[in-house]
Amino acid sequence: MDRIPPAFFKQGLSANVRLLIFAGLSLVLLVLDARSTLFVSLRQGVATVLYPLQRVLLMPRDFAQAASQTGLEALQGARDLRAELDELRRIETANARTLLLAEQLAAENAELRRLLGAREQVVIPSVVAEVLYQTRDPFARRFVLDKGIQHGLAAGQPVVDAGGVIGQITRVFPLSSELTLVTDRNLSVPVQIDRTGARAIAYGDTEPGRLELRYVAANADVREGDAVSTSGLDGLYPQGLPVGRVILIDRAGGSTFARILVEPAGGVDRSRLALVLQPDAARLPPPLAPPPDPPRRRRQGRS
Amino acid sequence: MSRKNRRDVPTGLTGGPPRIVRSVRPGRNGFAREHLLLPADNAFISFSIALAFLFNVLPWGQALWVPDSLALVLFFWNVRQPSKVGMGVAFLFGLVMDVHQASLLGEHALHYSLLSYGALSLQRRLPWFNLGGQLLHVLPLFVGAHAAALVMRMALGGGFLGWSVLLAPVTTALLWPLADLLLLAPQRRAVDRDQTRPL
Repeated sequence: MDRIPPAFFKQGLSANVRLLIFAGLSLVLLVLDARSTLFVSLRQGVATVLYPLQRVLLMPRDFAQAASQTGLEALQGARDLRAELDELRRIETANARTLLLAEQLAAENAELRRLLGAREQVVIPSVVAEVLYQTRDPFARRFVLDKGIQHGLAAGQPVVDAGGVIGQITRVFPLSSELTLVTDRNLSVPVQIDRTGARAIAYGDTEPGRLELRYVAANADVREGDAVSTSGLDGLYPQGLPVGRVILIDRAGGSTFARILVEPAGGVDRSRLALVLQPDAARLPPPLAPPPDPPRRRRQGRS
Repeated sequence: MSRKNRRDVPTGLTGGPPRIVRSVRPGRNGFAREHLLLPADNAFISFSIALAFLFNVLPWGQALWVPDSLALVLFFWNVRQPSKVGMGVAFLFGLVMDVHQASLLGEHALHYSLLSYGALSLQRRLPWFNLGGQLLHVLPLFVGAHAAALVMRMALGGGFLGWSVLLAPVTTALLWPLADLLLLAPQRRAVDRDQTRPL
């Protein structure tokens, strides 16, 4: 018993045992991270340490972009700039009229709401964030933003740009946050079709850069070109934000639901700046005009 | 200078278990020509891992072909210096990559741990082959380890994304000869510089 020779080559645990430990640990982490929120603080810690490094590494790209932009402007003739200016002036004039109308409507709306005794629309606070980079994870459509808990961001807040909804904050770190795009397959947005008021849920489609409206009956009144906006039913997205436009309707026989593809209105993959809305769920007005159609009872959870 | 003294010791005998270290110069019949190596420099190991990590953290977007340089370098040092860079280091770097890429925690950790296991299993065999032979060993290993992590992700609700997601491990493996040449170069220098200096 005491004649066991001393280890000649000290190599620690064998490779098999080590694999068992580390692969097991990875699997436990994978399952727990997918199913629970146990490792939020671990992720936040690592992300905070990584943040300065990421910023430094992004510098060359930003410099290159700025340089190419100024170079382009120099190359572009004065004529192009003049044309652009004219176009912008035209848009501004058009917008000015809309703006006036909007002011009138707002005043009128406030008056009507007072008469109805409904709560008044609240002004939603918001934070402008810059997109740092797109994550490489091929399973998701995510961007990392340069604002985090420090700036009042929280998971669940909707993100919009000039065109419309582009996504939702899904994870927050002290100094940065993760924005999941509406085109991500695991993100759903409750929407309505503006023309008819019919409700649906928009999911990211398998086709990149597209949304799919689910749970719309095959015989529902939907046309190509219909504008789709948030319905505000979830209490997260304010009502009436533009989401997109219907581009394809496939009423294949044999299926209860139509396959409806929507092109997102926001510059989902393009915008560098995003506006994170911070609605106070308790103070959001209740959604107006309940739908006339009866509640659906069929197959609520298809995956 | 301790550095100078260490250089004078022929090979492998300073610190760690005594190992026969071979370099990979193509010899005859597809096998490597044996060549004694200098001991690995800790600073160089850290430097190469840090550089590979920085390459991975660059904003690549969702390009699927971008090689995973960190996996490559970690694999290399797991083959060459398993006592210095082991499975634990690979696992920790995997976790950091998971946070950076916003994937599920443990996906890259599993990927790198499996690669490290492959490296530990192949570490006695690999140096005997020339670069082509090594590539044939490394390619299925990289593809397999990446595929295992992807399969776990699919099982947890990712869905099948098509075969193009396996492009990255292929490009990574194709860089293996380059990594081998570059990372082993400091150890291939002559023990005494004067001996190889042309007169």
